Parts: sequence; structure tokens; C-alpha cells
Amino acid sequence: MAIQFSKLTERGSLNCIWIGEDLNAQREIFTVASIILLETSRVNVGIRVTSPLARNISTIARASATLSQIGRGRFRLGLDAARPNALMRDATTLLRRIWRGETVTFTSDNFRLSNYYARYKASFAMPIYFGVREPELLALAGETADGVILSGPRKYIEKAVAIVDEGLRKGKRSRRSFRVVVWVPTVIVAKKSDVNSARQEVATALADTPKAVLEMADIAQERVKPIKAVMAEKGVNGASRIVAEDLLQEVAIYGSPEEIALDLRSLEKYGIDEAIFGPPYGRKPVKAIEEMAQAWKKLR
Amino acid sequence: MEKAKVDFAVGLNAYETVEEIVDKCVEAERLGLDYVWIGDSPPHLYCPSVAAAVASRTKKIRIGLGLLSTLLHTPDQISGGITPLIEAYGDRFEICLGVGDRSQLSRVGIDSKLVRVWDHVLKAKRKIARSLRASGLTTKIWLGAQGPRMLAASKSFDGVLINYASPKMIKWAMDKIEPVARKDFDLGIYAPSYVYREWHLQAYRLLRVASAVVALGAPTAVLDGFGFSKRLRRAKKEHESGLRIESVVKHVPAEVVDSFSIYTPSSRLRSYLSELGDLGISHIVFGFPQNLSKITIRDLASALPFP
Repeated sequence: MAIQFSKLTERGSLNCIWIGEDLNAQREIFTVASIILLETSRVNVGIRVTSPLARNISTIARASATLSQIGRGRFRLGLDAARPNALMRDATTLLRRIWRGETVTFTSDNFRLSNYYARYKASFAMPIYFGVREPELLALAGETADGVILSGPRKYIEKAVAIVDEGLRKGKRSRRSFRVVVWVPTVIVAKKSDVNSARQEVATALADTPKAVLEMADIAQERVKPIKAVMAEKGVNGASRIVAEDLLQEVAIYGSPEEIALDLRSLEKYGIDEAIFGPPYGRKPVKAIEEMAQAWKKLR
Repeated sequence: MEKAKVDFAVGLNAYETVEEIVDKCVEAERLGLDYVWIGDSPPHLYCPSVAAAVASRTKKIRIGLGLLSTLLHTPDQISGGITPLIEAYGDRFEICLGVGDRSQLSRVGIDSKLVRVWDHVLKAKRKIARSLRASGLTTKIWLGAQGPRMLAASKSFDGVLINYASPKMIKWAMDKIEPVARKDFDLGIYAPSYVYREWHLQAYRLLRVASAVVALGAPTAVLDGFGFSKRLRRAKKEHESGLRIESVVKHVPAEVVDSFSIYTPSSRLRSYLSELGDLGISHIVFGFPQNLSKITIRDLASALPFP
């Protein structure tokens, strides 16, 4: 399925395919990404996202270097960890030191390397994107990463970009060489009932949204608590039924392919460089992606 | 033991570029080799991704992944790596599990002394096989083994790749495995190799280094069993002190190197292979530095008794 998606993406006018990591999935994300890079020639391929703790840091470094060679620079690494800043800062620093060919000795609570050096050459640039949401980590992304992948309500996105910009200023870094990506649950709606899948995605997203993000989005926690409660009791179907219309509009984008394309384009006003047409896509995902790619091409 | 059909493989160490490794694998397929094995170690490229690149440019050669250290990769990551490979490129993949190079593992913060490795590898194997079965897939799972406990554990696998090359040592290993009468169990060796038509000093030096790494990492029971412990004491001490292997290798006696490697002019390879055939070996992986160049791979292929 992922390969089929990628080929559609490549045939259309889309720029990147981002692959999400599901630790319970039967397919290892770096291997899937390699196959997609091998089966395409133009489109970028990103991992959105893996934890720096899911594998040994040396494994993340070499898997990324291998993918970068296979894709001749088309690979992007997305990192995420629900931990303090030090973890992400250390992970980023270590990866870059390994890729530079340094002999690395480093000890922290999370990483331990001793006279380690890579025998492969990291021949292409490997941009690191932070898939983070908390304000401190957003600022750190601006300071140290090559890009950030945002997700959440629109108001939150607007404020998150401002925090990332602060981080960029603090790190004395240029906004031009940094990419802000936003991931949006998107559904092509052919029938009224198709909106339900958007509601389900929004219910899942909101139930998992940290307090800080809700505050930034001006969404009272009291509005999300019932969704979480119903989710725990009746599952996502039940929870989706109590997602209010304004929350649906804030978090997801749905409509015809043309409407979605326009809506995604409108995110530019927040300073977004790239919008991800995210799942659940529509009733028929492959067809939905094809239609979306065509609509985006027309808009451009 | 009955002579089995022997599969010949070349082992690739993934520190070159993906393109260079793929080119060598394409050449190995053209020359008629049955397998390529893509190594996996912390300082090298990522084996499942390299395997994908090799599969995308070859048609029928079988592709071995490993040795994959179960201390470095979880069973889910291993089964999750093999699954999309089979789905994308067909049933051409096999894996070899084991502990891996302990000194390299220690450099990335993994202390192999903290676990009973034979037990750890066996549990991982069972979980991997279960996950693959759940996806409707199967693959041959080998065990990379040297010491008595790992060798004994190998009967729970589909085959064993023994990490030394002298017939005397292989026979010793087979006694530890116990007779495995299963028809679907394969006995193999994976050893540093230099089969040459014209001898080159550089390749020989690399063979010595590769063999020294294997010998110095061998379990005490193996070294004691063949009287190598005392003779390797100085080299081991220097290696453990952090000296680079290239400096330590001069203290590794030549006959130790010979025991852990396949080192022969191409004209004499067949008699060695015949000895292995008599022992029931059905899978031979010619490891580094046989993969040094397409020429060294061609030299090997020209000496193999293909049907």
C-alpha cells in the first residue's frame, strides 16, 4: 500500500511522502522507507516520526545514512520523544557528530557511546525534523533542528510557529534554511457520512493532545475531557459523535479535493512551508490521494 | 554424513557505499553464486535497507541478512524488517541471528555480559518466527554460533552458521550441536576468506585482521578447546585495552588465523570444499576480504564447483 501511495505521490505534484511509525506494526519503518525510495526517483521521503529511544542511536544514524544514499539526498528524519529537551538535543548532536565521521564518546541517562565511529560515509545531507508539540521543544526545534512537523488545532499552529521562530532567533539561525511542516487529518468528502471519519480522527487527536497544546489553542480542557472519557469507554466511534463542529473545523480539513487544496494553501499565512495531506484521506485512500494530487497540481 | 548440495555465498560488509555493495551483488548473481549475505554491525550501513537495494537490482540470488544482533535489534524490528522485503521483492530473504561483535556492541553502550545470550537469541527467534507466521510469511532463520551453548541452541533454528573454518574445529562444533537428523536443518560456515588466483599482500593483511577479530571474540571454550587461549593472551589484552586491531594483529599467530579463515589458492579450494562436504556442510559463506572487489569475487567464483 505504501509503495502504491508513493508512486501516486510521485506522479502528481506532491513533494514528500511522510511515513508514520507504528511500533505495533508488522513493517519496520526504515525498511519501508528504503523500499519507497528505491521505487521512486523524485519525491522526498520522510519518517514522521521515530523516537530516539526506539533504537540504539547508532542504528538511527546508520539507517538514516543508508536511506540518504539510496535516495541520493531525498530522505528526511523525523524525531520525537515525550521527554525533556536534553534528550532531543543530545540525540540531534550525536547523530550529526556520527554523520560527520567523529569518534564519539558520550554518556547520559539515555545514550552511551564509547570511542564509536561510523565506517560508512554520510554522503548526503540528512535534515532532522522535530515532531514535537510542547513549547520548550518547539523552541528547541528552532534552535537545533532543520525543520519541525506540527500538528494540532489551527490556533495552536499559529502560536507554535511563533515559538519556533523565537528558537531560530535564539540560535541565530536563518528561517530560510528551516522548514515548517504541518500535518493535518484530511478527508475527501463525497457523502455526508464521510465526515464521520474526520470526526474519528479529530477525536483520536484531541484525546492525545497535551494540556499545553490545548491551552495554546484556547480550547478548554473541559471540552476535551468528555471525548477522552467516551473514547475510553466506547472507543473512537462513540467519541467521534461528541466532537463539536468548531473543534472539527479547527483540527481537520475536509471537503472536495479542490476545497482541501485551498484550505491547505491557506496555512501559508501562518508561515507554513509544507502541508501534509494526512490520513484518513477518504473512503478510498488511493483514489483520494490521486484526486488530491491532481487538485494540488491545478492550484499550483 | 550424506553429502548435501552445497550453496555458495559471498558475505558483504556494509561499510562501502550502497551503490558499491549493490554492484558486487549484481556481479555475484551474474557469476552464479547462490547467496549474498549482507552484514550488520554498529559502524556499518543498515542491513535491511541495503538488502532492499540489492533485491531491487537483482532477480534471483538469495539474500541473507546478518548476522543480526538480537541485543541491538528487537524481535519486532527484525521481523518488521524482513516482512516488507518479502512483500516487495519476493521470498528471497533469510536471516542469521546471534550476539554480534561484542567489542562493537560495547562501543554503542550494549553490555552482552548482562544477558544469557543463547537464551536471549532463542527467545528472539521464536518471537520473530511467530510474527512472520502471523503475517502469513516464513523465512529461514539461521543461528550464528561459535561456543558450545550457542551451538547446542542451534537445533531450534533452521540452520547454523559456524564462525570458523578449519575442518577439525567444525567437527568439534558438530559434536556440540548433536546429530540433527532433520532434513530441513542446514550446517554452514561463515568465515573470513581469501581465495586467490594471484596473491596480494593487501588482501592477505585484511584477511589477518578479519580473522583476528573473529578469534579474539571467540568464546573461551573454543579457544581453550584448541589451545589458542595462551597464544592469544597478549593480543587479547592489547585489544581489550583499546588498541586498534591493526596494531594487535601481529600478536595473533598465523595458525590461529588459518583456523578461523578460508585461505587458499583457488587451485586448492576444491579439496577443502570436499572435506567440508564430507562433514555435511551445505552452506559456505566466503566473508571479508573475499568481497574486496569484483575481481576477488570473480577469483572465488572461478574456483567453485558449480554444477
